[in-house]
Amino acid sequence: MEFMSSTIELVPALSGVVGNTVVDVEAETGRDTFLREDTATDVPWVVLVWNDPVNLMSYVSYVFQSYFGYPESKANTLMLQVHQEGKSVVATGTREKAERDTQAMHSFGLWATFQKANQA
Amino acid sequence: MAKAFRNTRKGITGELERAERDLIRRLFDDVISMLEPADRADEDPLAALVGLDATASKPEDSALLRLLPDGIKDNDGESLEFRRFTERSLREDKVAALRAGALLLEQNPLQLTPEQAQLLGRAINDVRLVLADRLDIETDEDAQALHEIDDWSQAEDLQTYLALVYNFLTWLQESLMQSLLAGLHHPGSRA
Repeated sequence: MEFMSSTIELVPALSGVVGNTVVDVEAETGRDTFLREDTATDVPWVVLVWNDPVNLMSYVSYVFQSYFGYPESKANTLMLQVHQEGKSVVATGTREKAERDTQAMHSFGLWATFQKANQA
Repeated sequence: MAKAFRNTRKGITGELERAERDLIRRLFDDVISMLEPADRADEDPLAALVGLDATASKPEDSALLRLLPDGIKDNDGESLEFRRFTERSLREDKVAALRAGALLLEQNPLQLTPEQAQLLGRAINDVRLVLADRLDIETDEDAQALHEIDDWSQAEDLQTYLALVYNFLTWLQESLMQSLLAGLHHPGSRA
């Protein structure tokens, strides 16, 4: 089943963002490894979309493509994950971005929440 | 009878009967009246200007809560905080789409740009969310069972009537989305 691959896809996506954040902090502060342990604020935020029986699969895929700019295959993978597994992480980034994306999902009528990535 | 939306060289086109357009516009108006906050004379005008609403609270009506959901799962305090910063603009955003949708339905046949089609789609979707709440659609099985109600001659009670309206809007929305998706993947092509 194709949708199963989405879980695998998400893991590198998340760790990539964590990795970049740590590198940025190091570059800005010049400090080294101990930052890796105490920069809880650098943990990225994620936006989750939850399944509901009303939003059409075509609509959800359209929202992911038009708002996030995801290619059709990624949008469909995320949409199927929402539909079949109950939820999906659809975006990652700073808290401000997660809040903005959550509000945008609400304006489309999707049921979205945001939280820290390590609590997902 | 309505004609499904299609993606054409002239844009996204569709046709609706006068009665169908009137019905959808009334539904848009109903949802607008749910979303428009009551005027408050004592409101801080500066707060209103920047979109803050210190008095926002979690909606008690389940349909309104579905339109304006909590932003953080299992955290009422933070959800309320988020709501006070964002709910006003979310309400305004939704009302704007519903108003735009109602205006777009004035034309017949319909000929929409992708942006207009998206506004209409958002408006129809919000109506479907409210109807689904009134029809107690909570699971995919509920939605499937309801989907089989398609005989307008059986519309003798309110629930059946609402179910028929819901299914009509679902059909319309699906064709609108297929047209929008076709436009995303093959801009300018004829579906």
